[in-house]
Amino acid sequence: MEQPASPCINVCRMNPATGLCDGCLRTLDEIASWGSASTAQKENILQALPGRRQQPISQDWPT
Amino acid sequence: MNLPPGLQFFERGWLSANNILFVDDEASILVDTGYSSHASQTLSLVQHALGARGLDRIINTHLHSDHCGGNAALQAHYGSHTSIPRAEAAAVHDWNEDLLSYRATGQQCPRFAFDATLQSGDALRLGACDWQVLAAPGHDPHSLMLYCPREGLLISADALWENGFGVVFPELEGVAAFDAVRSTLDLIAGLDVRAVIPGHGPIFTDVQGALKRAFARLDYLAADPMRNAQNGVKVLVKFRLLERRAVALTELAQWMRDVPLLASCNRRYLQMDDSALAHWVAQQLVRAGAARLEADCLMDC
Repeated sequence: MEQPASPCINVCRMNPATGLCDGCLRTLDEIASWGSASTAQKENILQALPGRRQQPISQDWPT
Repeated sequence: MNLPPGLQFFERGWLSANNILFVDDEASILVDTGYSSHASQTLSLVQHALGARGLDRIINTHLHSDHCGGNAALQAHYGSHTSIPRAEAAAVHDWNEDLLSYRATGQQCPRFAFDATLQSGDALRLGACDWQVLAAPGHDPHSLMLYCPREGLLISADALWENGFGVVFPELEGVAAFDAVRSTLDLIAGLDVRAVIPGHGPIFTDVQGALKRAFARLDYLAADPMRNAQNGVKVLVKFRLLERRAVALTELAQWMRDVPLLASCNRRYLQMDDSALAHWVAQQLVRAGAARLEADCLMDC
């Protein structure tokens, strides 16, 4: 069965402000678990990525 | 794919090779450390997995920059005991740029030290399992693989991927290595391998299918060494593109002339002038969907 391909684009740099990789927008936990994740888990991660592009840099910026 | 407890597999990309982290009551051990520009993320992945615990050991399957580029950063942070293939000991001890591959390929690798060496026949205890060290010449003459008979697991480095294997580097310099690739594939075929953890790409279980594709690929390359040379040039330029994201064609032509392995490979096989070579490789990468051209600038994609 064909597995979803990794979204890694070889940028591989965690952004401390977002907690996401600047390239693939995954969290460290998602990157760490990708290699042993199930097809469903991988699809869930992939579905979450597009929405992250627009997210504000910090969710809890002091107001 | 259910991995044995004590083994974590970090699937990375192509600029950084995959990392395998073993943890048991005795020790924490990382096999291969990725490319130097990704070392910070590699360290973060290891810290994320180990928590307060240290990284006791590093093992390198071979010393290409995408497999050991994180050694220096991990050693600086953890002071990890480091084992490298025995045949590379003198080159690393002296940091002999003529023997190590980094200058020849135009790649980066911060200097690191080692504490021990590994060779074919050695036994290792990783993640509470017994592993065997196997020689895997071909892609690199000194490459090692790790095999766990109980689990039927093979850490193949760049000797076997789901679709093919790494560039046969010695042949780029006119050193025979296709037979070594064949011997290594034969060795794998003779083991009871139920899953392969490759140096790049996901874990795969269709080992027979992968071997069949690898033997076919080997036959295709060995029939005309020009094919391996063309592939080698494309892979080295794609690697550069992954590292830099974008390169102007004029700059690429100059870089390809200045990188010793590309220059000698061009003299030996392709025999194009600098500009023609850069344009040729750009077209090849665009045709393969591995790059795009925008106003004489080659971009990664």
